[in-house]
Amino acid sequence: MPEDFESFIQQHRGAFDEPGPSPRVWDALEKELEGSRKGRVVSMLGKNWFKAAVIAVLLVNAAVLFYFARHKQQQQQDLAVVIPEMQDAKVYYTTRINEKLELINAYPASELGLDSTAKQELQLRNDTYKTLENELKKNPGNERIRGAMVRYYQLKLELLDKILEELHERHAAPTHTKKQYEAEI
Amino acid sequence: MKASANNLNQTQIDGNVIDRCKRGDVRAFRELYNAYAGAMYNICLRMTGNVSDAEDTLQEAFIQVHRNIGKLERDASVTAWIKRIVVNHCLNNLRKKKVYFEEVEEVEVAEEKGIDEESFTWTVAAVKSAIHGLPQGYRTVLNLYLFEEYSHREIADMMGITESTVKTQYMRAKEKVRQIVKQQNCIR
Repeated sequence: MPEDFESFIQQHRGAFDEPGPSPRVWDALEKELEGSRKGRVVSMLGKNWFKAAVIAVLLVNAAVLFYFARHKQQQQQDLAVVIPEMQDAKVYYTTRINEKLELINAYPASELGLDSTAKQELQLRNDTYKTLENELKKNPGNERIRGAMVRYYQLKLELLDKILEELHERHAAPTHTKKQYEAEI
Repeated sequence: MKASANNLNQTQIDGNVIDRCKRGDVRAFRELYNAYAGAMYNICLRMTGNVSDAEDTLQEAFIQVHRNIGKLERDASVTAWIKRIVVNHCLNNLRKKKVYFEEVEEVEVAEEKGIDEESFTWTVAAVKSAIHGLPQGYRTVLNLYLFEEYSHREIADMMGITESTVKTQYMRAKEKVRQIVKQQNCIR
């Protein structure tokens, strides 16, 4: 009687194997892995860019507060003339800042990758702003406070511009609303 | 140089290599690949039936291994996990080629005139050739059961067919192989 088929396979199992794959498999695989690693690094940079930007804002805010603490004693009480100038600056900058914040907020939170603290810092009226505003009310004629306020507006605008630029690069259509974006994914 | 084929039962990979793979170390992933490529390639070759498809499937499966290695639990069998990914890739590729596993085809078997049952012998080459000539569904079931050592139940789950269909296909596949080999014995 011939040997049982299953027993034959078991006894000669090794003889059924061919030599392994050609080196082209690893070569192609390695290219894929390199590609996916690059993609991951780029995406990590993309996400961390926002975090880095927010950290930069926090540092600037901290620096402004520190600057006040040091120079508070030099503040002068001058309640004349300066309020109209600051009012113009306030209107100009807050309008532009709010426009940009509105555009940024149109993106879903997952895309921004910011936690609530970071988002709060991005808002116009964050703690630094409130401190500056209070100081300005108390010392409207102080050049340093006025300068710090204007610098605060400018830095915030620059940061928001960079965030928007980054978001536009990552998305073909920069005018996407949150709903449009969610519908797409 | 070709990577050598491996006996899966002897394949051992250090847990440290897996940890390094999880951290994205490409050299560690190459170690993992070298340890398993031979055995996994043979699974692909048996399932797809040709070198080109086998190599493509192997590559795709290892990309999947790379992507998902972070999900591999510490106590899980690396061999069983990789093997399952490879087998699933083979099955998916067969499905893409419109291979329907649920069909229990009637395989035509030539009449067995003049074959001496007593002098009939198995040879590796004859069995390989006979398995290669089987319809895809039968070949898949036979390979998974005999060579990859999955149970009928496991095969049924993987292929999305009933256990009884698996058993029927396996019996028919085995019978078909036996008859082809007998015919080859007769020709010689």
